[in-house]
Amino acid sequence: MKRYIDFYLTSMKIAILEQFQYRAQNYFYMVGVIVEPTIYLVVWSTIANQQGGSVGGYTPGALAAYYIVWTLVRQMNIVFTPYGWEDRIQHGRLSMELLRPLHPIHNDVSYFAGWKVVMIFLWIPIGAGLALIFKPALDPTWLQVIVFTIAIWGAYLVRTMIYAVLGLITLWTTRVSAMFELIFALELILSGRFVPMTLMPEWVQRIAYYFPFQWTFYFPINALVGHLGTTELLSGLGMQLLWILIGLVFVRIVWHFGVRHFSAVGN
Amino acid sequence: MMKTLTLIWSYLRIDIANELQYRVNFFIQLLQSFIALATGLIGLWLVFNHTTTLAGWTQPELLAVMGVYILVNGIIQAGIQPNMQRLMNEIQDGTLDFALTKPVDGQILVSIREFRFWQLTDVLVGLVVLVIAVFRLQEQFAPLQALAFTFALLLGGIMIYCFWLMLTTTAFWLIRVWELVNLFQGLYAAGRWPISIYPNWLRFGLTFLVPVAFAVTVPAQALTNRLTMMTLPGALGLTIVLMILARLIWRLGVRGYSGASA
Amino acid sequence: MINSIIQVEHLAKHYKVPVREAGLKAATRSLFKRSYKTIKAVDDISFQIEPGEVVGFLGPNGAGKTTTLKMLSGLLFPTGGKLDVLGFQPSRRQADFLRQITLVMGNRSQLAWDLPALDSFDLQRAIYGIPRQDFEKTRNEFIEMLEIKDLVQKPIRNLSLGERMKMEIVGSLLHRPKVLFLDEPTIGLDVTMQRRIRNFIAEYNQRTGATVLLTSHYMADVEALCKRVIVIHNGKLLFDGALSGLVDRFSAFKTIGVTLENGFGSFSKYGEVLNQDAGHVTLRIPREMTPEITARILAEQPVDDLTVEDPPIEDVIEKVFAQNSAAA
Repeated sequence: MKRYIDFYLTSMKIAILEQFQYRAQNYFYMVGVIVEPTIYLVVWSTIANQQGGSVGGYTPGALAAYYIVWTLVRQMNIVFTPYGWEDRIQHGRLSMELLRPLHPIHNDVSYFAGWKVVMIFLWIPIGAGLALIFKPALDPTWLQVIVFTIAIWGAYLVRTMIYAVLGLITLWTTRVSAMFELIFALELILSGRFVPMTLMPEWVQRIAYYFPFQWTFYFPINALVGHLGTTELLSGLGMQLLWILIGLVFVRIVWHFGVRHFSAVGN
Repeated sequence: MMKTLTLIWSYLRIDIANELQYRVNFFIQLLQSFIALATGLIGLWLVFNHTTTLAGWTQPELLAVMGVYILVNGIIQAGIQPNMQRLMNEIQDGTLDFALTKPVDGQILVSIREFRFWQLTDVLVGLVVLVIAVFRLQEQFAPLQALAFTFALLLGGIMIYCFWLMLTTTAFWLIRVWELVNLFQGLYAAGRWPISIYPNWLRFGLTFLVPVAFAVTVPAQALTNRLTMMTLPGALGLTIVLMILARLIWRLGVRGYSGASA
Repeated sequence: MINSIIQVEHLAKHYKVPVREAGLKAATRSLFKRSYKTIKAVDDISFQIEPGEVVGFLGPNGAGKTTTLKMLSGLLFPTGGKLDVLGFQPSRRQADFLRQITLVMGNRSQLAWDLPALDSFDLQRAIYGIPRQDFEKTRNEFIEMLEIKDLVQKPIRNLSLGERMKMEIVGSLLHRPKVLFLDEPTIGLDVTMQRRIRNFIAEYNQRTGATVLLTSHYMADVEALCKRVIVIHNGKLLFDGALSGLVDRFSAFKTIGVTLENGFGSFSKYGEVLNQDAGHVTLRIPREMTPEITARILAEQPVDDLTVEDPPIEDVIEKVFAQNSAAA
C-alpha cells in the first residue's frame, strides 16, 4: 500500500514538473475549452431573457454560475482519450508499460492527477475573469464547497474508468471511431455538459440515472451552484464511488482479456 | 490558371482513387456525420422545448443555419483542414522545402495537395438538412435567393481558407501553433447558432477575426431572406482584403523560412 | 538442468496472416473468402542459459530474435513450447518476475522528455519499489561508471542520442535486475559511445553476476561481450556455442595476408586472390590446406610478413544464412 502511495506521489510530481514547463500551451488549451460553455451560456441566456427572466428555473445569473463552474469541472474530467490508447498501442508504448511491475492504469491516473493540480492553479485567474464578465449568481454553503472539492476528483475518476474501458477495446480492433463518437454524443446529452439536467425532459432525466455520465459533469457542478440538501450531496458522492467501482471491475475484465489477445499478436 | 485547375484535378483524382479502395470508410464517415447531425438536432429540439424562436430566428430558420454549418464544416474537413495540417507539420519538421522547390506557386500547392473525399458526407448531410429546412420555410423561394446563397457560401469558404492559411503561416514564427488552431476550431463551433445572439464584443470577433459569421450565418441569411443590401458587397470586399492579406503573410513567411536544422 | 536461469524448450511462435493479392478482383474476392498463411516466426527453439552468462543472439532481420526476446520478457505469448525464466513463466507477468528483469530496446524511450534524468530515475525507484538507500547507492554507482554526473541534471531533450542512451540504460538497471534483455542497445550510436555502453554492460555483468541476452547487428558488440552465441535464422536455431566455434564450424576458409619485400608475383596458383596491390596480397585458401600453402609461399616468395586469419565474422554469418536460405 505504501508503495502505491509513494508511486502516485512521485508520478504526480513528475507530471507537475513537466506540465508546468508547458504552461503556455496549457493556457491556450484552457482558453479554447472556454469557448464551448460560453456558446451554451449565451444560447440559454438568450432564451431566458426571451421568456421573461428565467428558463426552467435558471436565471441568466444561475446559468452563468453553472457554466463557469463547468469550465473547472471540465478541466478536471479531461482524461486519456480512447484515441490515445490506439496511438499508444500503435507506437509500441504499451509494451513498455507492460514490462513494469505496475498496472499501466496507475501511470495514467497518477500522471493526469498531477496534471490536474497544475490545471487547477492555471484556471483560477480564468475563472475570476469569467466571473467578472458574466456575473454569476453563486452562494454556496461550506458543506457544498467541501462536497464539490471531493466531487471534482470523483468526476475525474469516473470519467477515467469510462474512457479506459473504451480505449482498451482498441486492444482487439482499431476500427472503432464510430463507436467512440456515439458514446461522446451520448455523454453530451446525458451528462449535463450541454445543459443542466433539469432543463431536459423528465424521461431523459430518468434514463440518465442509469448511466455514469451525469456524475462527471452535472453532479459536481450542481453540488456547488445548486441547492441540494445534505443527504443529496452525500449520496451523490456515494453514487460517484459506486460508478468508480463498477468501472474498475469492467476495466479489470476488459484488460485481462484484451492483454491476452494483444500478447498473442503484440507490437 | 488552366494549369492550376488541371493540377487540382490531378490531386483530387489521386485522393479519390485512394479512398475508393476503402469503402468501409465511407460508411464509418457517414455514420459519424449522422451522429453529429443527431447531436445537433437534439440540441435544437431541446431549445425548442423551451421557446419558439431564438433571437428572432424560427425553427426552420435555425434548421437552415445548422444545415449550412454542417455543409461548410464538411468542406473545411475535406479540403481545407487536411492541407493546413500538412503545412503545419512540414513547417515544424522542416520538410516544406519539397513543396517550395516545385515549379508551381507554393501557396497554391500547399493548399490543394490533400483532400479527404469521404469527409464530403457532411456536405451531403448538410444539403439534405438545408433542403428540408427550405421546405419547412414555406415561403416563396426565389432563384435569386439560391444564387445569393451560393455566392455567400463561396465567399465564406474563401474567407475561411484565407483565415486558416494566415493562422497556419504563423507556424513559420511560432512553431507550436497547434493550440492556437484548437482555439479557433472551438470558436468555429459558435457558428451553429446565428451570431446575433452573441454579445457585441464576441460578435465582432466572430465576424472579423474568425470569419464564422460570413461562413455560416450570412449564407443562412441569404436562404431566409434576411440579407440587407450591404451584406454581400461587404462580404465581397472583406474576402478580397483577406485574400491579399493571406498572400502577403504567406510571402513573408516563405521568405524568412530556412528549414529546421539539418 | 534445473538451476538454469533461462530454460527454453521447443519454443514456437506462429502467426496467421491474411493473404491477399493486388488488384481489384482479388480485393473483392477477399471480402467473401479470406485465405490465411501461417508464418513461423519462431520454429522449435530450445536452449538453456546459466546465471551470469552473456549470450549473443545473431540473425538477419526477421529471423525471430526480437520475437524470442519478447516472449522471454512476457510481452508475447508463445504458440507452443515451454519457457522458464528465473523460475517464472514469463507470460504470467507476475510482479515479482517483472521486478527482476529488464528489456531495453534501442529505439524506444521510457524517460520523461522535458525533465532531467534524475527525475525519471526517481520515478523508476517508485515503480520498482527500490528502498531509497539501495536506490541512491546504485544510482550513484552507475553515474560514476558512465561519467554522466553533469548530464543527469539536464533535460533529456537537450542531450545527444548517445547521452540519452546512457540515461536509458542506467534507468533500466536501477532496480538491479538479474536478467537483462538487450535488443539492439547500441543502434545508431557512434563508435566511442558503443564502446562505452559495452563496457558498462560488461561491468554490470561482472559486478552483479546478472545474465545478459543481447541482440545486435554490430559484430563488435557480440565479439566484445559474448562468449556464447545463438544463431537464429528463419525462426530456427542454427548454432549454439562459442563464437570461435562458429567460425570453425561454418567457415571452410582462412585468409592469408602476405607482405612482399619486392615486386609481385603470381599468387593465383596458391589460392583465390582477393586483393593484390603493390607489396601486399590477400588470399583465400581452404582451411585444411593452411600449413601446406603457407609453407610453399614462404619457400617460394620473397615474404616480408605473413598473417593467417579467420575470415571476418560477418562473412561467416552471411555464408551461414546464404547456405540455409538456399537449403530452406
